[in-house]
Amino acid sequence: MLGVVIGVAAIVALTSIVDGASQGINKSLATLGTNQLNITAMAPDALTEQDAEALAKLDGVSVMFVQAQNEGTIATEDKRVNARLVGVSSQYFAAVKPEIALGAYLSDSKFAASAKDVVFGADAANDLGLTSDMLGQTVKLNGQDFRLVGVLDDQAGFGTGGRVYVTLDAARKLFSQYPYVSSIVVQAETPEAVDALQVASDRLLRDRYGLGAETEARYTITNQASLIAAVSSITDTLGLLLTGIAGISLIVGGIGIMNIMLVSVRERTREIGVRRAIGAKQSNILTQFLIEAIVLSLAGGVVGLILGQIAAFFLAIIGDWVFSIQLETVLLALGFSLVVGVVFGVWPARTAAKLEPIDALRFE
Amino acid sequence: MANPVVELENVRREYLVGDQVTVALDGVDLVIEHGEFVAIVGPSGSGKSTMMNLIGCLDRPSSGVVKIASDPTSELNDNQLTSLRSKAIGFVFQQFQLLPNTTAIENVMAPLLYQGISSKQAKQSATEMLTRLGLGERLNFDRNRLSGGQQQRVAIARALVTSPDIVLADEPTGALDSKTGAQVIDLLKELNQEGRTIILITHDLDIAASAPRRVFLRDGRIERDERGSK
Repeated sequence: MLGVVIGVAAIVALTSIVDGASQGINKSLATLGTNQLNITAMAPDALTEQDAEALAKLDGVSVMFVQAQNEGTIATEDKRVNARLVGVSSQYFAAVKPEIALGAYLSDSKFAASAKDVVFGADAANDLGLTSDMLGQTVKLNGQDFRLVGVLDDQAGFGTGGRVYVTLDAARKLFSQYPYVSSIVVQAETPEAVDALQVASDRLLRDRYGLGAETEARYTITNQASLIAAVSSITDTLGLLLTGIAGISLIVGGIGIMNIMLVSVRERTREIGVRRAIGAKQSNILTQFLIEAIVLSLAGGVVGLILGQIAAFFLAIIGDWVFSIQLETVLLALGFSLVVGVVFGVWPARTAAKLEPIDALRFE
Repeated sequence: MANPVVELENVRREYLVGDQVTVALDGVDLVIEHGEFVAIVGPSGSGKSTMMNLIGCLDRPSSGVVKIASDPTSELNDNQLTSLRSKAIGFVFQQFQLLPNTTAIENVMAPLLYQGISSKQAKQSATEMLTRLGLGERLNFDRNRLSGGQQQRVAIARALVTSPDIVLADEPTGALDSKTGAQVIDLLKELNQEGRTIILITHDLDIAASAPRRVFLRDGRIERDERGSK
């Protein structure tokens, strides 16, 4: 019965982990949008701002922005840490819309005037010990003065935490790698147009660099849909592993129940004999013991369900996703324990039913 | 006039113990009429338990014919045998054999429920039967709260509730003190006077003496078949 408890608890907890984790991942990815293509440089001089401008002119492109990034230092008067400095073009904040905790984005309309403004990711702000009263104050990036205008929320999305955002113009001055950029993001007008845009972007870049169709490019083009697919294949594998553990526990639990039932049939042999003598058919005895096995297994299932939900509750706190009791999880847990009860209860129940009444009555 | 409820014709029952054949009943003929009160008497090993099992449809003969209420049992499958047993026979056991974790009324209801009778009707019949046997106040007592005599009366109620042709009582006084035992025998006599067939299996000659007909068994054969009170 302990096996059934563990097995069902594992099923309940794993459903919740898989649900919660994919919820979290999908939420982070959704902030980027499914109609985006990320073109990432595989070498520092692989992509340029001119490439980006050419890409923006392709048919079906609604938004384009670039990021240029490099390691750098960030400092206040009394603290200095390393961070990833990211220069973004004007449409970045409008397109990505990361959640902001304090202050404001680098303004889109007055982007040129924002050249000395900086927005911190949540982790970078933490590392430097920034507080809300420091909004508008000066921080130093690679030794140059910038004005802190905003801090992103720690839920702002995948990879934003440790970054520090400035305008592309500012980035040029901070780490002088003009005209090279680290990544270009182009957004198709509709999610359906993403694949065609991916082909068109690749062809355009190959033309610009004189690469044949078979030559390996120094950039990669990924779309969000394939990223989501990759991530869900990871959660699927995790789910499969936990399903295996749950399955083994349920089999062990089932064997335990079978054992309990066989002992019970033996201990109650005389009772079976009396029941047969007063008119119980084999089928009555079979049903009686099968129901007992199911009740036993369901009891284990209910305990497992409760323990599993408690585990899921704490996992949700740790993993920072929303805890909820799903009807499907409850039905799944009870369904599995029912099946275990039936499968492992049949043999003992048959043994009981097949006892000869006289042998059963005479049994000491 | 003759209305036999039990007929044994040249009944033989052998058991295989290891590789040795033991003959428990060795060609027995016996007819019990409706409304009789018969004691089957013998020491242990005489074959009386085997005879009880055959009459009670718990077992089938190796050869010969056993007819219960004119039905031959040897041709019946397990389900048919169970159904004949349920309809024709009420068992009273030496150790009462009340079902564990059940109340008096649940014990008496069980045979009716196995016959497929609705629980409401079974409850009513069981209540009437227990009340008749003086246990109307103890319907919901479980067996730990009933004395030996009370437990045996519950067992008798359970045997009677289906209105069987035969009440088969196997050493019904064996686990009772002599006073309570006498009350149980009186109850069986009373039931017999109401027209029920009573078959009493015992090794105790004093108990057997209370029956108007006594069949003595020895070594698998009928030694004597006496009628009339001593």
